[in-house]
Amino acid sequence: MSAATLLLCAALAFAGMAALALSLDRHHRVALRGPVPRGRVRPLRAVGWAGIVLSFAAAIALDGWNFGPVQATGAITAAALGVALCLTFRPGWLRPAALAALPLAAACLPFALAA
Amino acid sequence: MSEAKRFRPAMAWLHTWAGLVVGWVLFAVFVTGTASYYKDDISRWMRPELRETVIDPAQSATAAAGFLAKQAPDSGGWLVMLPKPDQPLTEVYWWKSFAGPFHHALLDPVTGTPTGARDTQAGEFLYRFHFELALPPLVGRWIVGACAMVLLIALISGIVTHRRIFADFFTFRPDRSRQRAWLDAHNLFGVLALPFHLMITYTGLMTLGPMLMPWGLQAAYKDEAPHFYVEAGLMPKGRMPAGTAAEGLPLGEIVRIAGKDGGELPEALMVSSPGDAAATVSAVFEEPHGLAHLHPQIAYDAVTGAELARNLPAGPATRTATVMYGLHEAHFAPHALRVLFFLCGLLGAATVASGLVLWTVARAPKGAAPEGFGLRLVRILNVGTIAGLPAGIAAFFLANRLLPLDLAGRASWEVGLFFGAWVGVALAGALAPRRLAWPLTLGLAAATFVAIVPADLALIGEPRFVPFDIAMLLVGALLIVAARTAARPPSALARRAATRVAEA
Repeated sequence: MSAATLLLCAALAFAGMAALALSLDRHHRVALRGPVPRGRVRPLRAVGWAGIVLSFAAAIALDGWNFGPVQATGAITAAALGVALCLTFRPGWLRPAALAALPLAAACLPFALAA
Repeated sequence: MSEAKRFRPAMAWLHTWAGLVVGWVLFAVFVTGTASYYKDDISRWMRPELRETVIDPAQSATAAAGFLAKQAPDSGGWLVMLPKPDQPLTEVYWWKSFAGPFHHALLDPVTGTPTGARDTQAGEFLYRFHFELALPPLVGRWIVGACAMVLLIALISGIVTHRRIFADFFTFRPDRSRQRAWLDAHNLFGVLALPFHLMITYTGLMTLGPMLMPWGLQAAYKDEAPHFYVEAGLMPKGRMPAGTAAEGLPLGEIVRIAGKDGGELPEALMVSSPGDAAATVSAVFEEPHGLAHLHPQIAYDAVTGAELARNLPAGPATRTATVMYGLHEAHFAPHALRVLFFLCGLLGAATVASGLVLWTVARAPKGAAPEGFGLRLVRILNVGTIAGLPAGIAAFFLANRLLPLDLAGRASWEVGLFFGAWVGVALAGALAPRRLAWPLTLGLAAATFVAIVPADLALIGEPRFVPFDIAMLLVGALLIVAARTAARPPSALARRAATRVAEA
């Protein structure tokens, strides 16, 4: 149970939550100007849920069923809060932040494995 | 109207009024409970005289026993909590019977004499406040327990009431009408941390379970409640005192034996009937490093040091209950995870606070029309609680630094100033004009938090307290932002947002 694991889970969940938010017209409008293009809703939702499931799976894989669920729940909560704040105050940053979260998650992996 | 159509409005009504009635108590419980995730850090800051040292728990135990034997030769039991490197003090409790009263002292880990640390209740005060409200323990626990039950009702009815949980999942529109903005905030804080809110409410009720619902235990065990704890695997079997005196082994010897038998040093020793020929010492070990808040124990004969009993293995029910305790207290959480628990606790407090404010905003009279009595009362209580309690906590910390060290009843003065500042800020909010009440009280709370830092730097000024001081500045900054937002006329927010949309 290390900070690296938590950051990894939070980063994956953030990317997922951001994709879910962008699959909604209201948020897509402020973050990327204009409604969600047709045919983009399903892929965004799929990516979104994948991010959340991966975040949960990573927590279980790295920390087991004892602490894993607690870690994942905390990380997903923090990620959702981050997405909501980003959409409210800096909507333009949401997509870049979500894309940056993926390499961040990858960078955390060796540290999470080593801990 | 059909049954189904009446259901949601009924739940909305239930949510509104259940939340309002217990909201003020719950806000205080959430804030002080959240602060308690950092209870040990708060206590370290509030007792700056104690420094990290090399400790020898065995020696500390023997020294503490020397103090207790002299201080309370005829006591029925002692609890000796051994020092840790970052908590260099031995905490002892002693009592004549389990009916109380329980006496308490903090001892120097080396000499076993009371420490020279300033007289303060430290983090323990905020921790106990979150389930006893500084009232007589049983009264406070019943009030908090009842409020927590209503909170569970408010949570469930709130989920039913919320029409668009997924569609509004990330939605916060501070630029819309005041009512819309507060409803968004309330939904956001409530929904994002919903797993935490449900967990903390339910597990909190569980920790009060034996008090709230004692009947099962009473029916099955009659007057033999201790048997339940033995059979549940929560403590080892005890024995009756012999009635004849006998010299016990030095307590440090038991610590050494227990350290060998248990694989690690115990964190506390529970001594029953000290000085008796049948005295027992139970070595209590740190919970095993999992979610469950189990405290394995080994009971020793205090005279011979022979092992008498261990806990029976914990069954599924005990494990479930102890996992709930564990989740509530989060002792297992290292730094990063603890920050998230803290954040979720703040979201809980914010959910309650935004719900209370929403109640008044939704009913506010248009323009300069006078507010009715009920609305005025709720608004004044809101200001008094939401701004007053933080001011009280800040005053508690500030008093710890500013009060003279030799003041008689110093710890009580700190608590007195906690309530004094709270009431003072609440009164200021009640007397101020409606428009000024929030900015004024939030500003006062912010100023008190910020004032802690120069007081600490001037009077103690040690690098190890810098993180605490930074935390105080952050809370102060948060309150300043809140005060400034409250000071802006509502139309200014909407105008600013309108320009942003126009630019886009």
